[in-house]
Amino acid sequence: MTTVASSLMETSSRPPGPPSPHLVKIRDLVYQVAGIFQPDNKLRLFEDRCSKRMKVLGVTSLADYYDCLTTKPIRQAELVSLLNEITIGETCFFRNQPQLDALRNVVFPRIVEARASLALRHLRIWSAGCSTGEEPYTLSIVLLEELGGRLKGWTFEIIATDLNERSVANAKQGVYGAYSTRNLTPYYKQKYFSPCGNDLKVNPEVKTHINFSRVNLLDDVRMAFLKGFDLVMCCNVLIYFDVISKRRVIQHFYNNLLAHGYLFLGHSESLYGVSEDFRLVHLPSATAYVKAEKRQVMR
Amino acid sequence: MSARSAQLLQRLETLEQMPTIPVVLAPLLRYLEQPLDTLEVQQVVDLISQDKSLAAQCLHLANSPLYGRWQNVDSIRSAVVALGLQRMRDIAVSCSVLRLVPGKGQLNPTVFWEHSLGCALVSRQFARRIGADAAKAYLAGLLHDIGIAAELSVIPAEFQQAYELSQSQGIPLHEAEMTMLGFTHCDAGKIVAEHWRLTPDLIAVAGCHHNPASADGSRALVALVSLSDLLCRMCGLGHGYIEERQVNFLEELGFALLLKECPSLQGFDWARFTFELEAYMEEVHRLVSILYRAPQ
Repeated sequence: MTTVASSLMETSSRPPGPPSPHLVKIRDLVYQVAGIFQPDNKLRLFEDRCSKRMKVLGVTSLADYYDCLTTKPIRQAELVSLLNEITIGETCFFRNQPQLDALRNVVFPRIVEARASLALRHLRIWSAGCSTGEEPYTLSIVLLEELGGRLKGWTFEIIATDLNERSVANAKQGVYGAYSTRNLTPYYKQKYFSPCGNDLKVNPEVKTHINFSRVNLLDDVRMAFLKGFDLVMCCNVLIYFDVISKRRVIQHFYNNLLAHGYLFLGHSESLYGVSEDFRLVHLPSATAYVKAEKRQVMR
Repeated sequence: MSARSAQLLQRLETLEQMPTIPVVLAPLLRYLEQPLDTLEVQQVVDLISQDKSLAAQCLHLANSPLYGRWQNVDSIRSAVVALGLQRMRDIAVSCSVLRLVPGKGQLNPTVFWEHSLGCALVSRQFARRIGADAAKAYLAGLLHDIGIAAELSVIPAEFQQAYELSQSQGIPLHEAEMTMLGFTHCDAGKIVAEHWRLTPDLIAVAGCHHNPASADGSRALVALVSLSDLLCRMCGLGHGYIEERQVNFLEELGFALLLKECPSLQGFDWARFTFELEAYMEEVHRLVSILYRAPQ
């Protein structure tokens, strides 16, 4: 049966053997504690990231590394280091295309509909944990494109904040190298960027809609002043917080958002077990959170 | 129902142009229904091996991690021994269903295959999570859209119009069918399922998965498949186009129905289940692309 033999050769290219049960335990631990999930098809990559940390620590088995993440005194610090490995290299323009498509095709039209009763045709968006600025600039570009179509006659502003002063300073500069701009099509590069040596500089047209500042999401006073948002993007930030801090921030987001508002987290990031204030909703190839129907949380 | 709709349904009832399932499938399923301790591995091997292309396709699935196998099996016999009779039944039925869609239609048959196989796997995993019958859920997920196969075979031009409407407006296929045909693939599915004398629960799934409350019985199974079907469609394993909408699973009718029978569904982690699907998608795409190229 040559057909079977030849077609089986194609099947044999898949990764051999089931994942180590210790790796699965580490995956589940990271999800439980941080809220970010590694699906089975990403487990090899996840194992590579664990291996990098294991080398640093001089640990030779996944079972021992699991101990480092649970019982040893270094567990908090080690979890942060592992999370850094997991999210490394994720900062770039147009990082999560399905999420952006869902925003354009489903979320913005719904926000516009919800805002129809209000006289002000204006969108307020918050990029909470904007790092070096790729996310808010991407949103600004997406919205500028929409202004020529479904959002004709609308205006928008983006509040972009990060805890790290240096990241905010870099974001304000708006100059990016090849790695950050790898997902940009020539159309976007030409329309919204100018050459700056070997790098690309964001055009003022994109920048003018964004207000960058340093904000600590755990600063209750500062958080209480951020109001009236249609959309909060908070990607790969809450994963670093313990559950009590997560709940505090989530409660703020609840109050920061308008009734029809949306909260977007990072890819494979979840609020499960953290908050009842928000409900998970499914969008095409993306998930988001909307406010649960209940009275406004009073602080 | 309009006269045109009634006429189309009547055409479906004849099922004349419907592709047939492999001849070995019926005896295989009958044999596997007997008590487990009376079954002989060689008998099952012989039955599957009668159909060479079915055997080849079965081996592809048998070698997929989605069916619990991580080392290559290179013969039907070793597949049956390694995976067990239950899984081999799932695999043989899956391969048979994949033959049902005509290759010449407007809807790319791989899309139908991917959705059916994806829904079977998601239904199985969902059932395991909430303590329902996983084997039954797999079969039900696999066969839930047989009505589409019937429409593609018997009324291809009319189905095409409905499909184009669903694509252009980003709406669920059954809504477009209702507009264009006056009935849905659930109505067609019920006809096929009854014609094939499937069990009442599978008839209910094929006939009611877009309105689980309308099922006379087996509502939990119908609801489970309806939720799995919806999840697949929202996660890129749908009918080959994007449904531009927002879904809250807790507000779905299927959720309320399933919750009545499976209280563990109350605290279900939909986010994690959705993220797990990512791995399924990749493997389902890979499997179907190989199977589609394999001889039929």
